[in-house]
Amino acid sequence: MNEDIRPNRLLQALAYLVATGTSLLFLYPYWWMLVSAFRPTRAILSDPLRLWPETLSFRIFSEIGRIGGVELSTYIVNSLLITTLSTALGVIVTALGAYALVRRPKAPGFSLVRYGFLVTIMYPYMLLVIPVYLVMFKLGLLGSYAGIILFLALGPLQFFLFEQFFRKIPNEVIEAAVIDGASEWQILTRVVLPMAAPITATVALITFLLNWAQWFPIMVISRSPDTYTLPVALLSMNSELGTNFQGIMALAVLTTLPVALLFLFAQKRVMEGMAAGAVKG
Amino acid sequence: MTDVLATLSRDRIFYLFVAPFAALTILFGVWPILLSIQVSFTASATALRPNPTYVGLANYAAVLADPIFLASLGRTLLYTLLSVVANLAFALGFAILLDSRLLKRGSLFFRLAIFLPVITPDVAGYVVWRWLYDRSFGALNAFLTLVGLPPFGGLSSVDTAMLAILIAELWHHAGFYMIIFLANLSIRDRALEEAAHIDGATTWQRWRYVILPQLRPALVINSVYALIQFLKTFTVVVVMTKGGPSDQTNFVSYYAYQLFDQARYGEATAMATILFAIVIVLSLTAYRLGDREPGQ
Repeated sequence: MNEDIRPNRLLQALAYLVATGTSLLFLYPYWWMLVSAFRPTRAILSDPLRLWPETLSFRIFSEIGRIGGVELSTYIVNSLLITTLSTALGVIVTALGAYALVRRPKAPGFSLVRYGFLVTIMYPYMLLVIPVYLVMFKLGLLGSYAGIILFLALGPLQFFLFEQFFRKIPNEVIEAAVIDGASEWQILTRVVLPMAAPITATVALITFLLNWAQWFPIMVISRSPDTYTLPVALLSMNSELGTNFQGIMALAVLTTLPVALLFLFAQKRVMEGMAAGAVKG
Repeated sequence: MTDVLATLSRDRIFYLFVAPFAALTILFGVWPILLSIQVSFTASATALRPNPTYVGLANYAAVLADPIFLASLGRTLLYTLLSVVANLAFALGFAILLDSRLLKRGSLFFRLAIFLPVITPDVAGYVVWRWLYDRSFGALNAFLTLVGLPPFGGLSSVDTAMLAILIAELWHHAGFYMIIFLANLSIRDRALEEAAHIDGATTWQRWRYVILPQLRPALVINSVYALIQFLKTFTVVVVMTKGGPSDQTNFVSYYAYQLFDQARYGEATAMATILFAIVIVLSLTAYRLGDREPGQ
């Protein structure tokens, strides 16, 4: 029995063909980017399809040492600094906020905060950034790292992941701690946070990946390229006249490689976390 | 009154916990949205002054009478529809393939290959695609020429620009919808399929009447997410086309941003409010439709 459930050979070969073909098509842009970063612009023009660079030279990375009058190292440091700090801030603020909203959903004002947040994430993000410019101006944060980091701290996926996790903590666990005379601060630091370590790691990882990719708010809040990150530098280099094609590809590699490696290193956690956070929303 | 005070003191520490979250939400969410709505009722030239001139609905009237905006809105809706369908169809198809018993090995590799673009910074991904499509540098046309096919117009042709950015965006987003379908497929009730099989259901009937109804949650979530995603398409336009050629990819987000750049704040924010309303109405509709029990 079960004849049409048992895979037949031809169908199986076809499935592998489709899956492999599609996967290679999805991966090809990465390979082309990588190879192009090591080939002189002229060589790419004459043979765009070459699968391996003529010579393996890293000189291009020193040639793009300055972009738009700013050292390449500045963009790298900015990317690391802004992404790390906004991730740390976002994780702490979102965890505490989601925890409070889950524990006391009926406290006066709390549902207002929650709705305010939900409306914000429905607003077309790119169009939110524009009035944020005015807000940053009024707060005197324009052109500052603080303004960029504060704006990048909150995100929907992060909030939903924490909210979902805190909702699943059984009431009995918390009640037992209350009966034992624990204060709310003790419940948080000794009962809830130790349980929340894995979800915190997941949220931190995903936030890092998402914030590394940010560009528009950083471009809008910045007053000069001094606070640009790698993606913003890449965009301005791509819009410049006179194409330094090889340089653009080298910068694209620098922008992509760190997060691609981080993702491959922690792929299970990232994919499961993103699916879980989305299912809640 | 004493009740309220008692609640407040017992909950005081929770107000402390929520305070930073609330502050960031208000400062960088609620306030800018209200500011944007307020600006949409003022004359652009006075919008940023302490006492702006209020013009009522004039900006909305101007926007709705602007043929470029109407064309842009139409293209945005068309692009959203095509993208939602293409992305969900691709993601569902690939998820089914990965979930099937046909692929015994290598399933993780395929999954990683499709998901990697999701975490790739969109600017970097779109920059690479922009040059892949390029007529002189691009690998795509070089390949088509090599195998003797006619060249693809890519971003420079009026007929293909929208398709070109749709493909690039599918590359970037589809992996996300795929893992949601995969998560849903993994928690489905396989006993039902066995039962249907024993009852003599064909493969098609099993998919249509047993599996697909169980995928309703993922379909609803993905539709809502994809709608919101593609209605506000922006980055790909900035990187690849700047709205061209001949406004073919000048979607509402990008058009509003251009007006803002020209200091036409009133009209830009009026457009933002209109797009916001469309996002809310469409996603609530999708959610309602999907949430309704079949046959109701």
